[in-house]
Amino acid sequence: MGRIIGIDLGTTNSCVSVTDDRGQPKIIATPDGERTIPSVVAFADGKPLVGIKARRQAVTNPDNTVFGAKRLIGRKVNQEEVALFVRSSPLRIVAAPNGDAWLKVGGEGKSPQEISSLVLQRIREVAEEVLNEPITRAVVTVPAYFDEPQRQATKDAGTIAGMEIVRLLNEPTAAALAFGAHRVRKGRRLIAVFDLGGGTFDVSIMAVEDGIFEVMATHGDMALGGDDWDRRIIEQLADEIFDQHRFDVTTSPMTLGRLKEAAEQAKIALSTTEETVIRLPYLGQSATGEPIHVERTLTREQLDALTGDLAEALREPCETAMREAGVDKEDIEEVLLCGGMTRTQSVQVTVEDIFGRKPSKRANPDEVVALGAAAYAAILAGDFDDAALLDVTPRDIGIKVGESGFTTLIPRNSMLPVRTKKLFATTRDDQKFVHIEVYQGESGDIHQNRKLGHITLDRLPPGKAGTIKVELSITIDVESILNVGARELSTGKETRVRIRPTGGLSERELIAIIERRRVEEQTQTES
Amino acid sequence: MASAPLTIKLRVTSWKQLAGIYKRDLTRSAIFLKSKKPPPLGTKVRINLTLPSDTLIVLAGIIHRHIPAAGLGGRGPGVDVKLNHIPQSAMWLIESALASAKSDGSKSEAVPTSTAAAERQRRAPPTHLERAEEESKLEDGEALVEAEEELISALKHELESLRKLNPFQVLNIKYDANDDQVRAAFGGLTKKYHPDRFARFQSKDARMYASEIFILIRDAYRKLGDDGARSKVLNDLRAEAQRRRADAQAKTPTPTPSRTPPPRTPSPPRTPSPQRTPPPQLANIIGAEATPEPEQSRPVNVERSKPSRSTGNYSSADALIEAGKYDEALAIYSLARRKAPNDPHVRAGIDLAEGLKALAQRDRLEAAQRFEAVLELDPTNERAARELADMRRQATTDRKGLLSRLLGKKV
Repeated sequence: MGRIIGIDLGTTNSCVSVTDDRGQPKIIATPDGERTIPSVVAFADGKPLVGIKARRQAVTNPDNTVFGAKRLIGRKVNQEEVALFVRSSPLRIVAAPNGDAWLKVGGEGKSPQEISSLVLQRIREVAEEVLNEPITRAVVTVPAYFDEPQRQATKDAGTIAGMEIVRLLNEPTAAALAFGAHRVRKGRRLIAVFDLGGGTFDVSIMAVEDGIFEVMATHGDMALGGDDWDRRIIEQLADEIFDQHRFDVTTSPMTLGRLKEAAEQAKIALSTTEETVIRLPYLGQSATGEPIHVERTLTREQLDALTGDLAEALREPCETAMREAGVDKEDIEEVLLCGGMTRTQSVQVTVEDIFGRKPSKRANPDEVVALGAAAYAAILAGDFDDAALLDVTPRDIGIKVGESGFTTLIPRNSMLPVRTKKLFATTRDDQKFVHIEVYQGESGDIHQNRKLGHITLDRLPPGKAGTIKVELSITIDVESILNVGARELSTGKETRVRIRPTGGLSERELIAIIERRRVEEQTQTES
Repeated sequence: MASAPLTIKLRVTSWKQLAGIYKRDLTRSAIFLKSKKPPPLGTKVRINLTLPSDTLIVLAGIIHRHIPAAGLGGRGPGVDVKLNHIPQSAMWLIESALASAKSDGSKSEAVPTSTAAAERQRRAPPTHLERAEEESKLEDGEALVEAEEELISALKHELESLRKLNPFQVLNIKYDANDDQVRAAFGGLTKKYHPDRFARFQSKDARMYASEIFILIRDAYRKLGDDGARSKVLNDLRAEAQRRRADAQAKTPTPTPSRTPPPRTPSPPRTPSPQRTPPPQLANIIGAEATPEPEQSRPVNVERSKPSRSTGNYSSADALIEAGKYDEALAIYSLARRKAPNDPHVRAGIDLAEGLKALAQRDRLEAAQRFEAVLELDPTNERAARELADMRRQATTDRKGLLSRLLGKKV
């Protein structure tokens, strides 16, 4: 069996790593020397372009260019976060027959899984070219706060790309692993990992001691990331352009795409300078037919004013995570940053304010997650023998009670693997069966949470309400796989179900996509 | 229609010989018996397999093949018996023998003395041909498969042992351990048993059992993670022991406290009488972890499983066991056995002393069997449970090491 690579599949950029002969994780640069690969996919004449090539043509081909597929993967169109994203994104989001959020590209609906699979495929090609060996297995990182359907959808993307995703690893955990793996020091150390990427925000509180990486608590916001900072700049510019020229930039995907690129560049520039100039010549035509040129100076102060509430929104998840880990900020010895957005000054200032100490700048925030994924791959392969990772379940797992109630059985931040048992009594005389639905989420209202699966135990023995007892047991293993069992106590009759949350695509759909892609590749090489 | 099965007695005189039977026969769920006049195919057979330690393992099967004189690598003529079911505990004992034989490095073959009801033939010693066969097996993929199976078996038995232990014993810590010691113990066990550490192996079963073991470890850690939680667990353990003692006294109001009904929980620890031990002295509450104490204050083995006639107080023998003086303890128990041959305490005491003695002499098979016998007589016996768990932990470690080395060569 060949090597297992580590992949940070980011919202904006992706990165790939592998351990070298001495067990040190190293970034695999593209043959062009790029250490990250933009998570951008475009279709030109039906052929997919991925990475930097797709990104370069994005402005001129906005209808057929997709970025940020990670924000939609494994999601339903009617989810709040998706609705928020729809409003200001140049992407066209459509509902798939099953309610999943898909993307309309070149007049055709495509699942985010397919889009992400193209990015993964490109990463695989790069790794194969550089390492000069076939790659079939990978550890892929996901935001800690991803729920089960999002995780499964990410795995499906790997399957389409022809790789077995041997494990999904939470991004902040990966960062801590890369950071601390080879820094053996006596005694227990608490660290906070602050991970603000293009589309997601995670924070984890971890204890590191003698090779054991224990996640104590993790929290986050699945819909807060660098894109939101960009969007504030876009909205400001759009308003100004409308006021000045009576021209609505949001009506054209192409102008919106140009604005997005300019906004992102300005934001990045302001990480290192106090002010920057946004130049957008020939953006459109005014009502009088005059060409519109935009040239505007944006200062760091202005950006901070536009995004102050976003930075402030980072506070609550950090405080919740510390509370749930049972630690005070004074206990934390190091704050580790990852994700490109942590380069922004205002974010760093906020982090310092939240944790009461300057964040560490020892790791490269763009690469540390991929390095951690490779380190974890080495642990799984048995090449890295003196470390172990103890992760937690990021969301509450529970069951439906009554019409729409939810009761938690495994609280979030429980160390994996975990098993819980609970006894239930029948509610009616001579009840024939019990049907138990398993959900994930934190809301007391079941409809806000996501259903993972169900289990039915039938042919219960007759008896008065409350006399027949059923023991429910839920186990989550280290791969986040859920096993549910129900046992009637007097007869010992039991049933077990392995719950496989769907990522949205059925097995048949997955096979169809893989088959179609194989045919496409063949015709491309032949032509 | 149902006829009485043919009973065959098979005595194995050394455990190296047992290892041979295990490898050649039991791993394929069958056993070869030498016979010149084989009974017809389909004959039901019951095999009373006596181990070197006189333990009897009953195997049931059916004759499914006649082996001609030159068959089965020259082992014939005889019959091959397909076995229905081999008890897991028996397999584990036999596997221990195999592991010991391997670690000894000696492959000396002994001659089994099999006596069948139908024929009284000595079993032929294994030929060189067979040995060559076994060695070549190690060089191909079968060795890996075999090593994985051994690992799975070791994990399975370790899990069974751990389920009988209290959280302190699961983490292998003293009752007065502090936070750092608890964490260090948990960290060490995590590196050994976290399911990720088994991800490199092909078998999902290995990961599954490791996961089950790790859940026990993790739950123990969660329960003992801080000072307050630890005292609560200790108090519960103590209360449980007291409750059982009270039950026992209520049912059998005799001065000797050595009778109780079977305990309700699998393994609460032995506890001396509360009036003698002040509550804050946690380390001294549970006998097995305490330093040997004067005779009077020793726990008088209050929790014994079977109500039966007991002749007295064996605290001096128990103290001798704790002090490592097994022969002296055995002398006291042997005397007691003459007076009360059925006293479960005496029998358990003998098995415990014999087991510890065997362990000191590195006879792991004998030791394991003795400890199992103790636990059968007295499921609450902490020392036996702990020793057995330690042995099984060691077995897992050995097998995982072997398998990793094999993989290291392979990959």
